[in-house]
Amino acid sequence: MPNIVCCFKWVVDEAYIKPSSSGKIDLEWAEHKLSDYDRNAIEEAVRLQEAYGGSVTAVTVAPSDATKGIKDALSRGPEKAYFINSEELENLEPSQTSAILAQVIAQQIDYDLIICGEGSSDLYAQQVGPRLAEKLRIPCIAFVKKVEIDGGRLIAERKSDDGIEVVSAPLPALITVLPDINNPRVPGLKDTLAASKKPVEEISLEDLDTEYPALIIDKGLRAASLVRNCTRFGSTPEDIQAFVEAIKKTGIIDRG
Amino acid sequence: MYFKLTEEQELIRDNMREFARTYVDPVAVEIDENSRYPEEVIKKLAEGGWMGMPFPTEYGGAGVDYLTYAIAVEELSRSCAATGFTMSVHTGLACGPIFNFGTEEQKKKFLTPMAKGEHLGAFALTEPGAGTDVGAATSTAVLDGDEYVLNGVKTFTSNGPVANTYVTFAWTDKNDKRNGMTAFIVPRETPGLSVGEEFKKMGIRASQTSEIIFKDCRVPKENVLGKVGDGLKIAMNSFDHGRIGIAAQAVGIAQAALDESISYSKQRVQFGKPISRNQAIQWMIADMHTDITAGRFLYYYAAYLKDQGLPFTKEAAMAKVFCAEMCSKHASKAVQIHGGYGYCKGQKVERLMRDAKITEIYEGTSEAQRMVIAGNLLR
Ligand SMILES: Cc1cc2nc3c(=O)[nH]c(=O)nc-3n(C[C@H](O)[C@H](O)[C@H](O)COP(=O)(O)OP(=O)(O)OC[C@H]3O[C@@H](n4cnc5c(N)ncnc54)[C@H](O)[C@@H]3O)c2cc1C
Repeated sequence: MPNIVCCFKWVVDEAYIKPSSSGKIDLEWAEHKLSDYDRNAIEEAVRLQEAYGGSVTAVTVAPSDATKGIKDALSRGPEKAYFINSEELENLEPSQTSAILAQVIAQQIDYDLIICGEGSSDLYAQQVGPRLAEKLRIPCIAFVKKVEIDGGRLIAERKSDDGIEVVSAPLPALITVLPDINNPRVPGLKDTLAASKKPVEEISLEDLDTEYPALIIDKGLRAASLVRNCTRFGSTPEDIQAFVEAIKKTGIIDRG
Repeated sequence: MYFKLTEEQELIRDNMREFARTYVDPVAVEIDENSRYPEEVIKKLAEGGWMGMPFPTEYGGAGVDYLTYAIAVEELSRSCAATGFTMSVHTGLACGPIFNFGTEEQKKKFLTPMAKGEHLGAFALTEPGAGTDVGAATSTAVLDGDEYVLNGVKTFTSNGPVANTYVTFAWTDKNDKRNGMTAFIVPRETPGLSVGEEFKKMGIRASQTSEIIFKDCRVPKENVLGKVGDGLKIAMNSFDHGRIGIAAQAVGIAQAALDESISYSKQRVQFGKPISRNQAIQWMIADMHTDITAGRFLYYYAAYLKDQGLPFTKEAAMAKVFCAEMCSKHASKAVQIHGGYGYCKGQKVERLMRDAKITEIYEGTSEAQRMVIAGNLLR
């Protein structure tokens, strides 16, 4: 009976991302949500538990105010959560997130299988899963669209550029899942109410007693802007020349 | 003062939104067009624990406060006002009075399967000759041995054709206008109860509305709800609760009208620019958002008072009339923003405008709400 860990990220809901008049991105009023593919990760963990028994634990690294995210994740089925949190744990890089997860999982959680989303809805770096597996020195199967457990092994179908690969790995192992793997269930009212009563293990950065320096320094976010001039161009050489002139005038391409 | 929902309330709102997007949006157009009762959606609502939200778990409910319940009605109505109303009538007008006035026995027998969503409830008060003037009702209940014999015709009963349990009202003493009406719980299978004409409506077409006919319908004495003679009081109390649900439904419809208007106006180009760049359109959108926010806080406030155990009759009436009227006004504005396309099937605002109107009529017309509010102020 596998002990399954699913990792999730509490991200800004992109529906709320709006540029301010200065062109900066204003996130103060933005709502957060469970990263899309992490819903699939949690759902798959719960489905595997329904099929094979065992346990499901949800783990996140997040700022301390992400308590709603914990309840959201728990309302989707896991029976317990690890909430690694600190004021500083915002805008982490995949290297930091995976290092923190690896330390906590290695030291505190008894696991057979770790499931991550393919990538997060905000950064979509697709690195946390593979990096975490590497740090834990366990096999990693990425881009999984179907998974089964057979005794001490995992059999997974993964999407590659050339088609579908069927691969197998001994447990413990880590997989990252594609959205195709399942349709996450909608939590009912009672699931949400029950979530508030499930155990949450809170771990602070001080408890870990390790430094996780950032490798990239964020200089700020800027919104892309869309300006409609509603000028139509055809496809004759003259039209194309006129189009080039028009975008030169806006400064989008340099006068060469 | 603290203007923020709890995390749990927010999550429940978000879950209802997810539920509505997943299960309701895909059928909303079809059930409107065919006036079809979405049995499968109601079943899913029941499975999710949404059909008895504000009642204690011991009676099959979820034990959340009325505010949280009303927020769920808003979110559901944003996708489909008819489905939102089905849930609201069932919860506020049918389960509500049984919970508030029923005996322990009645709560176990009738409320529990209703709050679990296994049984659907209806509230049959209005009669052909008695709408706003509830006292003009002519249905009677005569005690014969251990049973009351009900005779009369109820009309406009929402959930009428599909309900399992009816809360209805009849005169036990015709001469006592104040304390002569009594409330009864009548199960569907009771001989003498039948479904009469089913109405074809302008909006909320997926909500089923019919006459309910009582012909020598024998109801055991144990099914009297509250005390004999308490009918009018129970009806009015039920409306107080129900109106919070209708206000929330109206806000949900209006919010949907705003959602549609924002996305359409940013994408529709006329005179070389999106129509949202015109101040005329911007002002409509600004007014919509302002009224929706005002309406939402009005119904939050009424629900808050109710949850605190404070009087909320006037506030529920204020929320109902304000939300209903702003909903109708802005659903119409949303059609305006959509131009000719908004007048045709295929744009959600066409349905929203038809759905909006009823919020000004049922559970007391806007005029009736003003009578309640003024009555409270001038007494
Ligand atoms: C779709 C739908 C669903 C319904 N669901 C239910 C239900 O589940 N259960 C139920 O019992 N009923 C239900 N009703 C009935 C609804 O509550 C009544 O239609 C409503 O109370 C108005 O009654 P009426 O239609 O007889 O209008 P009337 O009372 O005849 O009113 C006609 C007009 O006169 C106005 N008016 C009446 N009296 C006064 C006055 N004293 N001063 C000023 N103006 C006045 C009214 O405001 C209205 O504008 C439903 C109705 C509809 C259309």
